[in-house]
Amino acid sequence: MATVEFKGNNFEVDEDGFLQRFEDWNPDWVEFVMESEGIKEMTDEHQKVLDFLQDYYKKNGIAPMVRILSKVTGYKLKHIYELFPSGPGKGACKMAGLPKPTGCV
Amino acid sequence: MAFISSGYDPKQPMKNRITDIGPKHYEQFLPPVIKKNYGKWLYHEILEPGILMHKAESGDEVYTIRVGSPRLMGIQTIREMCEIADKHCGGHLRWTTRNNVEFMVDSKDKVAPLKEDLLSRKHTGGSYKFPIGGTGAGMTNIIHTQGWVHCHTAATDASGTVKAVMDDLFEEFTQMRLPAQLRVSMACCVNMCGAVHCSDIGFVGYHRKPPIIDHNVLDQICEVPLAVSACPTAAIRPTKVDMPDGTKVNSVAIKQERCMFCGNCYTMCPALPLSDGAGGDGLIIMVGGKVSNRISNPKFSKVVVDFVPNEPPRWPTLVKKVRQIVDAYSKGAHKYERLGEWAERIGWERFFEVCDLEFTWHLIDDFRDPAYETWRQTTNFKF
Repeated sequence: MATVEFKGNNFEVDEDGFLQRFEDWNPDWVEFVMESEGIKEMTDEHQKVLDFLQDYYKKNGIAPMVRILSKVTGYKLKHIYELFPSGPGKGACKMAGLPKPTGCV
Repeated sequence: MAFISSGYDPKQPMKNRITDIGPKHYEQFLPPVIKKNYGKWLYHEILEPGILMHKAESGDEVYTIRVGSPRLMGIQTIREMCEIADKHCGGHLRWTTRNNVEFMVDSKDKVAPLKEDLLSRKHTGGSYKFPIGGTGAGMTNIIHTQGWVHCHTAATDASGTVKAVMDDLFEEFTQMRLPAQLRVSMACCVNMCGAVHCSDIGFVGYHRKPPIIDHNVLDQICEVPLAVSACPTAAIRPTKVDMPDGTKVNSVAIKQERCMFCGNCYTMCPALPLSDGAGGDGLIIMVGGKVSNRISNPKFSKVVVDFVPNEPPRWPTLVKKVRQIVDAYSKGAHKYERLGEWAERIGWERFFEVCDLEFTWHLIDDFRDPAYETWRQTTNFKF
C-alpha cells in the first residue's frame, strides 16, 4: 500500500486512491483528491453530499444506495454526476473517505 | 514508453467530452448481400459442418463459414481475421453469440478458396487458427469466463480448462454426429457468469474451504453489513475481536459448519479471501440444461460430479469426465434429444450408471424449501 503526503498529512491509500482508514480522513484529503476527480472547487452542494455520505456510513456501516443519496440530498443522479464527474462511488465516496465499492462493479 | 497524449486534457476533463453515443448501428457493417435481403430469407441449409447457405426470396444466396475462436485473442489475430475478410468477403465478418467467427461470401465458388485458406493457417505450436465447424448437431464453442487471466474470485482457470476440453472434443466441433447440439459452458466461480446454469454440460470453479478473515483490516476496507447480507446461509455475523496488541476491532465471525464456500462475502469484502490452490479449489460438473423451447421447456443444468481437482495445465480428470458424459449421451440419446431430455427420459439413476459417474451425498439438494421438490416422491424408479 502506498502512502501519499499532502499538507503534512500522511494518507495511506490503495491502488485506486481510496483511503485505507476512514479515521484518517480530514478536510485536507478532499483538497488532495479534488483534482484527480475532475473537481475545480468545492461548493456547498459538494459538501452536502460528502457530509451525508459520512453521516450515513458512521450510522449504518455502509454507503447509502444511490436512491437514498438522491432522496436525502435532493440531488438527482444527473446532478450528482455534474458535481462528481466520476459518479457517486468512485468520486463522492472516495472524497468522503468511505471504503472502496465492492461487488461486480 | 514516453507518454503520448490522445488530445485529452487532464486539466479540463469535461472539455470536448463525448458521451452516451452508444454502439454503432449494425447496419453500417452488413455485407451488401445481407443488407439487400434483410428480413427476406426463405430457408437455409447446412452444406457441411461449419458451412451454411441461406436462400433469399430474390434468389440470392449467402454462404457462411463458421470458425472456432479462443475468445481471448490478441490484436494480431483480429488483424489476421480482417485480412481474411478483406481477401475473401469484401471486408465483412461477424462474431456469434458463442464467440465463433463467421465469414460470409455471396457465391458458392468463393467458398472453397476461403475454406482452404482458413484451414491452412496454424499457430507455430501446431493448433488450427481457424478450425471450421460448430454447426448443427455437434459441439460448438465453449462459453467461458475470465479465470486466472483477470478475475479475483476465480476458483479455477477458464481459458486453460476450455482449451483442454475443446482439444479432447475437437471432432465433435468439426462434425455433426451427435443426437442434438451440445452446448458446453464454463464459469470459474459460482457467480456463473455466462451460461453454465443452462447448458448441456457446464463446469464451474468451486471452493471447499471457508474464507480466511483478515481482522486487521476488515472494518477498514469492508462495509460489514454488506458482507453479512451477502451470505446465502447466514453463516456470517458481525462481532468484535480482541487483537493481539490489546485493541478491539469490529469484524465478522463465520460459522464454519454453515459455510458452503460460495465466496459471495469475498466479492463484497476484500478481507475475506478463500481461494485455495493446494487441494481446496477445483470444479464441479453440471449437465442437462438448455435455453431453447424446442419440444421441452428450458431447463437448468444439474450437478452430477461433486468435485474434480484443479490439474493445470491440462485438467485430465475434468476432460475424462466430460468425455464419459458425451460418449454415453451420443450412444444413448434419440435423434433431436438434448442431453437433459435424454437424462430425464432414461431417469437420473440410469444416467449415472451409463455415464459411469459416482453419486455422492453432495448431489442431493439441501438448499432451503425447494430442495424437497428435487427428492423422489414416487415409487417409480429403476434398480
